[in-house]
Amino acid sequence: MLADFNFRVILEYLPLFLTGLRSTFLISIVSIGLAIATGIIACACRISGIRLIKYPAIAYIEIVRSTPLLVQIYFLYFGLPTLGIRVPEIQTGILALMLNSGAYIAEIIRAGINSVEPGQIEAGVSSGLNYIQRMRFIILPQALGVTVPPLLGQAIVLVKDSALLSLISVAELTRAGQTLTSERFMPSEAFFTVAFFYMCIYFCLKALADWSQRKLIFREAY
Amino acid sequence: MENIIEFKNVNKWFGKLHVLKDINLQIPKGEILVICGPSGSGKSTLIRCINRLEDIQKGEIIVNKIPVHDKSASLTRLRADIGFVFQQFHLYPHMTVLQNIMLAPVQVKKMDKAKAETIAMEKLDRVGLAEKSGAYPAQLSGGQQQRVAIARGLAMSPEIMLFDEPTSALDPEMIGEVLDVMVNLVSEGMTMCVVTHEMGFAKKVAHRVLFMDEGKIIETGTPSDFFDHPKTDRAASFISMILTH
Amino acid sequence: MMAFYFSRLVEIFPFFLKGLWMTSKVAFISLVTCTLLGFILGIFRSGKNKIVKRVIGFYVAFVRGTPFVVQVFIIFFILPEWGMQLKAFPAALLAMGIMGSAFICEIVAGGISSISKGQWEAAAASGLNLVQQLRWVILPQAMKVILPPLVGQYVLLIKDTSVVSVIGVMELTRVGWVTVVRIPEGLMVFSLVGALYFVISYPLILLSNYLEQKMAV
Repeated sequence: MLADFNFRVILEYLPLFLTGLRSTFLISIVSIGLAIATGIIACACRISGIRLIKYPAIAYIEIVRSTPLLVQIYFLYFGLPTLGIRVPEIQTGILALMLNSGAYIAEIIRAGINSVEPGQIEAGVSSGLNYIQRMRFIILPQALGVTVPPLLGQAIVLVKDSALLSLISVAELTRAGQTLTSERFMPSEAFFTVAFFYMCIYFCLKALADWSQRKLIFREAY
Repeated sequence: MENIIEFKNVNKWFGKLHVLKDINLQIPKGEILVICGPSGSGKSTLIRCINRLEDIQKGEIIVNKIPVHDKSASLTRLRADIGFVFQQFHLYPHMTVLQNIMLAPVQVKKMDKAKAETIAMEKLDRVGLAEKSGAYPAQLSGGQQQRVAIARGLAMSPEIMLFDEPTSALDPEMIGEVLDVMVNLVSEGMTMCVVTHEMGFAKKVAHRVLFMDEGKIIETGTPSDFFDHPKTDRAASFISMILTH
Repeated sequence: MMAFYFSRLVEIFPFFLKGLWMTSKVAFISLVTCTLLGFILGIFRSGKNKIVKRVIGFYVAFVRGTPFVVQVFIIFFILPEWGMQLKAFPAALLAMGIMGSAFICEIVAGGISSISKGQWEAAAASGLNLVQQLRWVILPQAMKVILPPLVGQYVLLIKDTSVVSVIGVMELTRVGWVTVVRIPEGLMVFSLVGALYFVISYPLILLSNYLEQKMAV
């Protein structure tokens, strides 16, 4: 089966794959950045005592976590035009990835904040720090370290999730594979090449995540 | 008397570290042997080789006529006849005391539950904890946990009991209760190998004391000979160290 | 206009229920298979045989390193090239099985490795063989660590069934996709689809949270 593997066609389509890879990169970087911002805001609302912002945040997080990303993508893709909003597919896709990962990141940050032991807050209170100061100087510096490995894990998930944008015709990596399949009908060449590029991204991010995890353990040992 | 455990030129390495060097040792049936030595001397490794928790690379170990060094040896049969007590107890936290003791008789010996329970209660009574049969390990003190672990070791009615520093992880006030239980076992005629620094225990019940250092057996002798008139400098400095400790 | 579409949607609601039934079928069958296979693989992954560990490790890395939709394409388009004709439904189950087992394998291996070496030794020292050690001593304790992420993984797997819509399995997402072509009310159609997923997933999310809290004690 691998004997008839046609490397020529891969070479021929390499520019297409590389353009796709670049889009996947850009989409992922922009989306993860926006998702982190979304996550921070959602988490802040989620842990605040104000009901008016707390409950919408809970609803957002829980709805996103209980429905498939593909449904969320279709919801925006088919839904935005009915609201009269017409944007390019790629923006719809980034919006979907941002909203989706944002909810997971909100929970990651919340877990990080919860991991700071109550004694730390008490120590802050007793030295007269107010809420903002406690967050800024005591809670967040400690919570942030804990959140780095799962955040990188979420980045891995997001890169893979971005493959679903191919289904709304965004020209990213998986789409390049679909194009090759439909033009030449060579699915093996197409999708194993696609898989190879994803694996490369995965191993880089995984190495980074493992490294940050080790750093964390190292820090905790003291 | 016939030897129940025999080491012939046993060598063991952990990677590059040579932990047992040409060990030759005969343990006759019914002997109470105390093994001591500084940490890292290989004494724990030595008794862990007897039921093959550790593999050896060179030499022979014969236990109860079973060649333990042989890869094809039936470990189940071998281990069923040897009770082992760990420094850290290693009771099963998800089981009650009674279940801890009954597990091996029911699973390995295929004993029926009622009979296993009778035996388990009997052993538990021997270590003085019959009233704790329904408790979980986490609800017991360290000393009680170790006594349960001894009962668990006894449940298979073994011919050999191995103790790997059974009192080292205990608070000082709990050491006595565990040693008392062990002293009581002596009358049963079992072969016992005990890695310990408890001189009082050794003097009271041991037939022979074995001193190890750097993977070698440095000297052996009766407890009174060894503790009062050590032959080597290393043994002498070790004894003075545990006395001042 | 919206009211009109809404009444149309109510009319074809049974169509959605059929989709939900298909989603449940795919999810249920793959959850059961993945759990079984995942446990077996996870146990071997935490075993001593280095070659077996390597092979499983490679498989897990491939599954974790590539998007599920790409895996679905590989199975659906490439197996026929190798002479294996698969209809959409069995192809979907195969893809789900391969993907889910890898994730569950990692969860199980993680749970097993969280149990101290002393527990294995204590069980071995009393004469239990490897299977008995696992069955009576290691797995019951490891389950505490395994269960919360396992249920969390179930939620992810249920949601991932939506991806098999791309090869034409008439499950919930596919039903939405087909409907939206005829009833161009994207928000309405996919809110309904989302709500139906929510009904299955959310209770499991709550269960996962509950287990996490309970096991942490």
